[in-house]
Amino acid sequence: MAYSERIKDIGRIRDYLREFFVFGFRSREEFTQKSARSYDNEKRRVESWLGEYMQFRQTAEGKNVFLSIDSRAMNHNPLFKAWKTKSFTDRDITLHFLLMDILASPDAAMSLPEILEKLDGMTAGFRDPKTFDESTVRKKLKEYAEEGIIQAEKRGRTVAYRRTENSDLPDRALLDFFSETAPCGVVGSFLLDKSDDRDDAFTFKHHYVTGTMDSEILASLFDAMREKRNVTVETINRHKDRVRENHVVPLGIMISAQSGRQYLMAHVPRFRQITSFRLDSILSVKADEICEWYDDLKARFERMRSHIWGVSTHNESGENLEYVEFTVCWRDDETHIPERLEREKRGGSVERLDGNRCRFSVWVYDSRELIPWMRSFLCRITEFRFSNQVLEEQFAADIREMYALYGITGEEDEDA
Amino acid sequence: MMFSELYSAYYNAVAAILKAALDHPVSKSEIRSIVEKKAFGESVLTIPAALEEERWQLLHPDGTTPLSHPPTLPMTNLEKRWLKAIAADPRIRLFGDDLPDFPDVEPLYRQEDVIVFDRFADGDPYEDAGYIERFRLILRAVRERFPLKIEIQGRRASPRKIELFPDHLEYSEKDDKFRLVGVTRRHGRNTVNLGRILACEAAGTSDEDFFREDSEPAPPEQVTVVMELTNRRNALERVLLHFANYQKEAERLDGDRYRVSVTFDRDEEADILIRVLSFGPMVRVTAPDSFIAQICQKLNRQKSCGL
Repeated sequence: MAYSERIKDIGRIRDYLREFFVFGFRSREEFTQKSARSYDNEKRRVESWLGEYMQFRQTAEGKNVFLSIDSRAMNHNPLFKAWKTKSFTDRDITLHFLLMDILASPDAAMSLPEILEKLDGMTAGFRDPKTFDESTVRKKLKEYAEEGIIQAEKRGRTVAYRRTENSDLPDRALLDFFSETAPCGVVGSFLLDKSDDRDDAFTFKHHYVTGTMDSEILASLFDAMREKRNVTVETINRHKDRVRENHVVPLGIMISAQSGRQYLMAHVPRFRQITSFRLDSILSVKADEICEWYDDLKARFERMRSHIWGVSTHNESGENLEYVEFTVCWRDDETHIPERLEREKRGGSVERLDGNRCRFSVWVYDSRELIPWMRSFLCRITEFRFSNQVLEEQFAADIREMYALYGITGEEDEDA
Repeated sequence: MMFSELYSAYYNAVAAILKAALDHPVSKSEIRSIVEKKAFGESVLTIPAALEEERWQLLHPDGTTPLSHPPTLPMTNLEKRWLKAIAADPRIRLFGDDLPDFPDVEPLYRQEDVIVFDRFADGDPYEDAGYIERFRLILRAVRERFPLKIEIQGRRASPRKIELFPDHLEYSEKDDKFRLVGVTRRHGRNTVNLGRILACEAAGTSDEDFFREDSEPAPPEQVTVVMELTNRRNALERVLLHFANYQKEAERLDGDRYRVSVTFDRDEEADILIRVLSFGPMVRVTAPDSFIAQICQKLNRQKSCGL
């Protein structure tokens, strides 16, 4: 099939964008999951949409393509462009503009025969006028009624169609802000496309843009949660290149502001457990039957939340909950340290021991999740304790390994 | 449906062409210019040709159109549902009191369905009437470009007053705070946390005072940190995702060893330092020396704690 800049399925490009944006070190030869031609086509599309962010590096293994985006320097997520590339036929686009012109006013309702007659009149001036059959136009009107832009009303035995009343666009600054910060923000970007004026009053720090590629998955999960439904989620394990179907009850979406990762928290009836699924590993969502005990499961999830540090609800120690505590000290001019502990403690407790020391403690399902955060206090940890002995030893061993990595002997002046 | 041609850049580009054609016969160069602005790099190869060859029967050879009205599209249900969802966000009041209301649709999501689990707990007070009032004035100053007189609560010192010409507002998702970025007469580029602003008003001075030729604010200085890592405990993916919001480059050195370079503004160095430390021995910084020295200083100090 001839190359086209437009695509039929967003799922195809999702993997490539993730690969180019997050990883970006694989050469063409390493893209084994698709054919070389498919790789060339996807790369060409991404270059057409996001050329200004695309970079290349020549290595011994071949030419690598990667996307490099400083999210702090931009006003709008460039990956939104991928959502604006849906393919369509010549007939689709022609019919769209003619139909919306015929139904230009919400005051004018027309029957299908009236619309067909007008359509013929509008294409009559072309060299080889297109004609539209009744079934095609009815199908398009039905599709637009589902999208909410056309209303169908019964008029005796016939159906009349009219355009939906226009709604005023909200303030541009509101759309600029929430399109970048709210779930499924790409929808805000669609609304921004309806207006010509540029504002760009905002930039964003700690802003992860790849999550937008999971927006359709997210929207399906939101629908299922609102309707209290079971769903079948198809997930991929990229390390093992294995796809699996999971029958689950979706209970919430957890998002990390510090890594951009998004997770579905769901009850898995087969294991009778609430567990997490990374959204970027979910390939599809299929709504199933209503879950009769949805409210009970949701309440159970809410009760668990104060003990979930990140998203993990299991550990390797076999304990229901694991305990972690550590003590930090600070100098008189470092009063931001206890403030930092307070604002970052989540479900934990901070106990002031004296003027320059605090002890943090927490009971969590999986204390492994705390380790990266604890390491961010390195230079001031005076004591630590894990109920999970394996992790306690690992934490100590990691510190020793860091000393070795940087040649720290402890003989230098600490402020050298 | 979210992935729909209704929202496509092609439909938007064609709508703009047809709008122009209703006003005057559009030329090929005008079509090309609209396509370049509204669509993608290679769209100029397809859209003008499809119109010219009458595959899309929307534009006559003389540049006129059979349409009688400028093309517009009512809001879709998806757009209304998204607006209804964000109307429940506490930050919405910052943008006005007239909130979108669409009684005929369900919100796309409910606030309680989404949990940001590692956001800092001391975010800005979005429901405080004084904060809302100051935010609205600051946003207006950014959009209409007028200087502000601001009273700020210092971290330790007593309040101080500055005059600032605002450029933009920066929002941090991790801190859940807004910062106002602008220019002051004496210090050039300046950043003020909105949560620390006690009062602000229009300064009533001329913007020329802030932009003398000899005081043009310098762009933020940038730093590039180079790290090497061995891909154990899924470190590669974790590091690359963690730093995905910066300009970065990753390359494979050999086998399971990788080099990752991350470029950021100098004012983020302290934050990046603790983020690098959080990866523990999975990563080793190899440049620049000044950054390595800061890591060594932290580790020396840690060693002195007796661990």
